Amino acid sequence: MYKNKKGGIIGIVITIILLILIVIFSNGEKNSNFFENAASNLVMPIQNGLTYLKNKLGGNNTFFTDINNLKSENEKLKQKNSELEQSLRELENIKNQNETLTEYLNLSEKYGEYKTIPGYVINKEISNYSKTIVINIGKKDGIKENMTVIADKGLVGHVISVTETTAKVQTIIDTASSVSCSMSTTKDSIVCKGTLDEKSALKAMYIPTESNIIQGDSIETSGLGGIYPKGIHIGTVKKVTNTQNITDRYAIVEAAVDFDKLDTVLVIKNQ
Amino acid sequence: MKKLIINIVLIITTLIIYYLQSNFFSWFNISGVMPNLYIILILFVGLFASQTMGTAYGIGIGITLDLLLGKQAGIYAVSLGLIGFLAGVFDKNFSKDSRMTIMVMSLGATSIYEILNWILKYIFIGSQVEIVNFAIILAIEMVFNVILTIILYPLIQKAGYYIENEYKGNKILTRYF
Repeated sequence: MYKNKKGGIIGIVITIILLILIVIFSNGEKNSNFFENAASNLVMPIQNGLTYLKNKLGGNNTFFTDINNLKSENEKLKQKNSELEQSLRELENIKNQNETLTEYLNLSEKYGEYKTIPGYVINKEISNYSKTIVINIGKKDGIKENMTVIADKGLVGHVISVTETTAKVQTIIDTASSVSCSMSTTKDSIVCKGTLDEKSALKAMYIPTESNIIQGDSIETSGLGGIYPKGIHIGTVKKVTNTQNITDRYAIVEAAVDFDKLDTVLVIKNQ
Repeated sequence: MKKLIINIVLIITTLIIYYLQSNFFSWFNISGVMPNLYIILILFVGLFASQTMGTAYGIGIGITLDLLLGKQAGIYAVSLGLIGFLAGVFDKNFSKDSRMTIMVMSLGATSIYEILNWILKYIFIGSQVEIVNFAIILAIEMVFNVILTIILYPLIQKAGYYIENEYKGNKILTRYF
């Protein structure tokens, strides 16, 4: 046990020495003598400090009287600074509140045809393979399973389970998610599924053979499937992958919603 | 009394890990892949306390995660419970004194947990089968977990032997003699 501990300490010391040497060699001037630089770096701060002290003590008679003035001035400035910090915090709170309310207002205006309930994202899935979120509204707010959840930019997902005060939402980028969609240009129906391949993208599958899907096409919900209402924006086509068999071709759809920064959502109450 | 304190500390650790997993590692990650500290915790409990305690902690934490975040009750509980059980098996067959052994255990536990979790999700939730992408994410997660095991090893060893002494006491030597 002791041997291990000793070995560990020696290891750490060697690592630190190596690190210092690497820093010195990588930052030092190539032409100057290494030891001269090291000695200079070691001595110079002390020498500077001593010179500063000597100048202050020897040459400046007002040095000690100035200290008292500086102290009182410093106190005043500190007080003013704390007052300003307090005001800044209050302003930041107001700004955040304003941003949230504006976001709610924008969302409500955009999806005015639906009755919606606003909510916050309070938790996110801890696994690398699932993309569910938890929101702060539940049964007591009128939330039920399978209700559609949207955000400012588009579709988020649907409610999969509800408690009194919270609801779990399966996002459209979850690998178990499957959304019936249509392309805005051709109106052809496709199915968008969550994928592990990309963090904020979906895989558009079952593209009709005669359909001409191109990069930049807007994708929205088709209304089929009974969960999502028609016409909610999902994202845009990022890449089309053609395969040997045309029926297997697929497209990568970049989700409109940034799920990493998602914090305000609306749950559609009536569809 | 000491056992009670140990359990309180373990529960607090669970809460800290929950916070780290849902906040800290959402930005401190490798290519978007988070580690899974719960696996390391359950492995630690199963190895040093007892197989039963490891399994119980695994199931307990798993049920909590299932209720809080899971889509299908029981998936986390079964996966983490199995890790607790396996930790007991590792304890009976391998030495815990070596950093390398602990690292290999962490590697094995992470892969077993994620593969089982994935299979269960495929069966019960209908997640898509994307073997290549899954393997890539799993590989990164395994590496991340091993790095964390290396960093936490001195703590794991120190706290582990303390817990082992409390839970197994004199029984430790009977296994070898």
